[in-house]
Amino acid sequence: MMQTAEPLQQTTDAPLDPVTLGILWDRLISITDEGVSAMLRSSFSTILRECLDLTAILFDADGNSIAQGTKSLPSFTGTGPATLRHILERHPPETLNPGDAIATNDAWQGTGHYFDICVMRPAFRHGRIVGYTMSISHLPDIGGIGYTAAATDIYQEGLRIPACKLMQAGEPNELAFEFIRANVRVPEQVVGDIMANVSCNEVSGQKLVEFMNETGLDDLSSLSHAIRRQSERSMRDCIRGIPDGVYRNQVDIEGFDESVRLACSITVNGDHLLIDYDGTGPSVSRGINCALNITSAWTYFALKCLMAGDIPNNQGFLAPVSIKAPEGCILNARPPSPTAGRHLVVHFIPSLVFGAFEQAIPDVVQAESGMVGHLTVQGVHRNGREISDIFTATGGVGGVREADGAETTSTPTTIGVVPVEIWEALTSMTVERKAFLPDSGGGGRTRGGLGQEVVIRNDSGNTLTVFPMGYRTDFPARGYHGGADGRPTRFEANGKPLHPKDRYLMAPGDRVRIMEAGGGGFGAAKDRDPERVLEDVLEGYVSVECAREAYGVEVDAAARTARRRA
Amino acid sequence: MTYRVGVDIGGTFTDFALFTEGSGIVGIHKRLTTPRDPSRAVIEGLQDLLTDSGVALADVQAVVHGTTLVTNAVIERRGAPTGMLVTQGFRDILDMRRERRYDLYDLTPGFPDPLVPRALRREVDERILFDGSVERAVDLEEAKSGVAELVTDHDIRALAVCFINSYLNPTHELAVRDAIQVAFPDLFVSTSAEVFPHWREFERWTTATANAFTQPVLDRYLRHIERELGALGFTGRITMMASNGGMVTPDTARRFPVRMMESGPAAGALMSARHGTALDLPDVLSFDMGGTTAKGALVRAGSPLRTYELEVARVHEFKPGSGVPIKIPVIDMIEIGAGGGSIAEIDGRGMIRVGPRSAGADPGPACYGQRGEAATLTDANVVLGYLDPNFFLGGEMRLDPRASERAIASHVADPLDVSVVRAAWGIHETINEDVARAFRVHAAERGFDYRGCTMIAFGGSGPIHAHSIAAKLKVPRVIFPPAAGVMSALGLLVCPLSFDVARSNLTFVDALGDDWYERHSRPLADEAVGLIRAAGVAAANVTIIHRLDIRYQGQGFEIEVTLPNEADPVVMRDAIPDAFGARYQEIFAIPGLDERLEIVNWKVEARAPEPKDSGMPAFLGVETGERAARKRNRRAYFPEADDFFDCPAHDRYTLVPGDAVEGPALIEERESTCLLGIGATARVDERYNLVVDLTKGT
Repeated sequence: MMQTAEPLQQTTDAPLDPVTLGILWDRLISITDEGVSAMLRSSFSTILRECLDLTAILFDADGNSIAQGTKSLPSFTGTGPATLRHILERHPPETLNPGDAIATNDAWQGTGHYFDICVMRPAFRHGRIVGYTMSISHLPDIGGIGYTAAATDIYQEGLRIPACKLMQAGEPNELAFEFIRANVRVPEQVVGDIMANVSCNEVSGQKLVEFMNETGLDDLSSLSHAIRRQSERSMRDCIRGIPDGVYRNQVDIEGFDESVRLACSITVNGDHLLIDYDGTGPSVSRGINCALNITSAWTYFALKCLMAGDIPNNQGFLAPVSIKAPEGCILNARPPSPTAGRHLVVHFIPSLVFGAFEQAIPDVVQAESGMVGHLTVQGVHRNGREISDIFTATGGVGGVREADGAETTSTPTTIGVVPVEIWEALTSMTVERKAFLPDSGGGGRTRGGLGQEVVIRNDSGNTLTVFPMGYRTDFPARGYHGGADGRPTRFEANGKPLHPKDRYLMAPGDRVRIMEAGGGGFGAAKDRDPERVLEDVLEGYVSVECAREAYGVEVDAAARTARRRA
Repeated sequence: MTYRVGVDIGGTFTDFALFTEGSGIVGIHKRLTTPRDPSRAVIEGLQDLLTDSGVALADVQAVVHGTTLVTNAVIERRGAPTGMLVTQGFRDILDMRRERRYDLYDLTPGFPDPLVPRALRREVDERILFDGSVERAVDLEEAKSGVAELVTDHDIRALAVCFINSYLNPTHELAVRDAIQVAFPDLFVSTSAEVFPHWREFERWTTATANAFTQPVLDRYLRHIERELGALGFTGRITMMASNGGMVTPDTARRFPVRMMESGPAAGALMSARHGTALDLPDVLSFDMGGTTAKGALVRAGSPLRTYELEVARVHEFKPGSGVPIKIPVIDMIEIGAGGGSIAEIDGRGMIRVGPRSAGADPGPACYGQRGEAATLTDANVVLGYLDPNFFLGGEMRLDPRASERAIASHVADPLDVSVVRAAWGIHETINEDVARAFRVHAAERGFDYRGCTMIAFGGSGPIHAHSIAAKLKVPRVIFPPAAGVMSALGLLVCPLSFDVARSNLTFVDALGDDWYERHSRPLADEAVGLIRAAGVAAANVTIIHRLDIRYQGQGFEIEVTLPNEADPVVMRDAIPDAFGARYQEIFAIPGLDERLEIVNWKVEARAPEPKDSGMPAFLGVETGERAARKRNRRAYFPEADDFFDCPAHDRYTLVPGDAVEGPALIEERESTCLLGIGATARVDERYNLVVDLTKGT
């Protein structure tokens, strides 16, 4: 199976003046941003507000995506057009009325797991469909066994909503809402968030029509064409900056029960790029499988990081890139493979793609990062309340050619962490220590960022159940161009190693220790400027011993001198 | 006759306004800021202003100040060497930040260095638990020896004391503060719970370190001003504007310099609100655009919206998340990297992008002729004929239109293959779109409907762009107040004395006993009222406003609820659920849930009465003689015609109440130019405001 879009035909239409095009284009993006703001304001759940796990997209009447909210997350890069196509197959344009809103959370038609709902609404002007708006957001619950990778098939993962009319001519479809309410744990929140999606679409649809009234555009097709053509051109220019060739990489990752291999070969041919995930291991019987739509989204995201961060998301940007993966592999899983915890796999796609380009575009790739570790805690708070919370700690970021990796920063996601004081109040646990782990960053001409050490004590007076969930426990963050790997993640309970996939019963007074991975270095450590090694030692990021052994630099901290051993 | 003077010390200019009751504003003045010693411009400007107005310093009752001194000290790292004491095990929190990237696609996002370097932080053995109980008593000897080392080895002048959970129980921080003050009497000490007792250690501690870092700077400045004004015979009161739009005494300012951040822009927003109130227009979009940034604030029912977090010293293109977060009560402002100096270039998709990079004042726009080669917004406005190259800053500076054309040709027009005029129009219009977009998104996030409200435009560049932006937003009315170039100095004269205190303390609403007020709110109210009364305000004249941040149990975010003012605490408490419910419905448009309500933050503001009728310029000191209302014609570009017009350029100082100006027109004053589009009419009201009604004409 292959996901690609036809290259745009050159037309003989009088081209839009670039000044006008820029202004109209920005207006369309602004419309999606306003839709996102409206959704944020009316959404209930924390995940939407704190993590901005949502997006809004505009399409022309032919279903081409032309603008997307600027705050969109990686998982929503380029999934919209296929979702709209699926919806329109089931509900063709001639069956749609003003005020209709159609929703689906299908993992294969949407964004790869049931938690994301996609809501689409046709925009009517003078009785005619002039475009479509869509919003996507991560719901707080969708029934089933909850937000975990533990399911063995997708039926356990909750309610599947086939593309159906949630709103019919402005009236709620009560039957659909009843089904949803009856199947989820926190119905008010879920329905509240779905309605926030509906109002997002109402806002952006209405703004789209106002935009057309103001600008006198009777249909969007020539504007859409110009936007897509311009984006496609820019993307092709970016691809042309990569030398032609076939680039390969593979990474092994922890997986759920056993490790999983991800592989890719990237063919750069002039201004076209083909990514083939052949060689990737098969899908597994736990919820970490990825539908091709989410694999593609993260692939586009990785490419944007490398070369095209300022090309806005729309169909033109996708056109010069083809993505394929063997059917049934973990990156192109088929129903009924469970998918809820797909992030555990797709988060490695950027490293996989960067690694393939390690030699081809050494100035922009980033060595592997320590990523993010989680500790789920369940049980009873000292005040008697049930708790189920996730502690997050970030590792170090990989180095790039000209800069050290950042210490303790989330990558590739942009998730934030729970502050110590909030965590303690939430759980009645005490954090005894949260500090950088010196020497954990891989040595290199530029150094990998430091990971961190966290020690948490159970002060709840009750036995708590904890589930560590970490990346980089078996496979450390790899250094590039001779840079050293970062130190791997480790979990301990009361001083003894804790299996990273175990469930652990934490008695009152017990301690869990998380040592989060460091990032990989870039370039050989022996090429690092001794002055920078000295700075690292004085700051406490690198020990005197590590300076000597990894960098070959003798540091006298008291005298503030450093020299490289011959 | 007694007078009051407002002084706003900005990055480039220091602005003055002289007010007397009955006559209103009787003089304004503007001069260059003296960055090395800002008090110099203040003293010299004050003397000039008073001499010109024939007023003796002895007759000045109060000098009211706003200053960017504190913000700039953080941006330019010109504070004092500062040390930090921190709970054992948490020394790295300042470096870890929120552990979050602020830019999705940027693999190496930059972050500001902490104000206290890692080497100047010392850990102290102590621990307070999540419920406020003490697990380990604080080791004062360890604290003292740590500080002794910092003083000897690093010559620190200020210290921040930051312990985990101190927002619940500040006793350890206070004990350390007392011990240090005895042992090191010259050291400025800030504790995190005194500065702002908010939960979330990174933000609270960063705020405390910024406070300590700037304490010596503000103290030195205030000592200069007090001494020099005293020497000149000033016997009145000095007050300072805080970021929340309230005034504080010098003593309070010295304790909490961090509360003075961004007070100039806050004063501008407050002045907009006051203009709105005076004209019976309670809902206002305040729009201020200067050389580097544009700032917006939303005014609802006469009061600017507020928030409790500010980010200063952003290191990457004004991106949220790239700066130093400061927790203080502050007027909720949008800041956009869009101003006269904003640089236009072609972005990655081949379209025009303007800002946030700015040419600043030096080298400045190409037309300044100071070696600046970038094409800026000011260059575009010169090419389009909106700015008169011979009348910039009242003719003090000559602009070179040829340089503007060259810069725009090489950076924008040629790469896009369009004419220079078309490119200039694209630059101008891109900024209008960017500002309109920022307003739309900011308002949408806050549930603020601006379609019925009034835009009030000021700042050096605001009046050129306001009409077009208002039209894009479908705002029905734009007002251009006079003296728009010194709006913040005017705003300083309308602020009441006020002080906010806030504390995080998780409490269920249904668990509040009848003595809740004494336990939770009284101590905060006493603190806030005490600070106002210390400035000589009678207790009977102090208004107290109670606000609570409340959420449903388990929810991750809170909603601010203002409590009704009731004498009986029991009645007040019983009103909490309804007040929350109403606000909840307003925000989410869905009814509330059947969950327990939990209070997260307790906030009290004490406020003295507002000064009467101040700030309104009754007279601007302008020529009233010959009413050559139409100065002359100038060629200016108007997009409707896609061509240049002979456009009338009016001298604002010759316009009097009752006059009307038809667009297209330019109305010039010393510091800014107001651009009226085709079909618009501006009327001059009795306060000398230009009022444009957008519902009429096109």
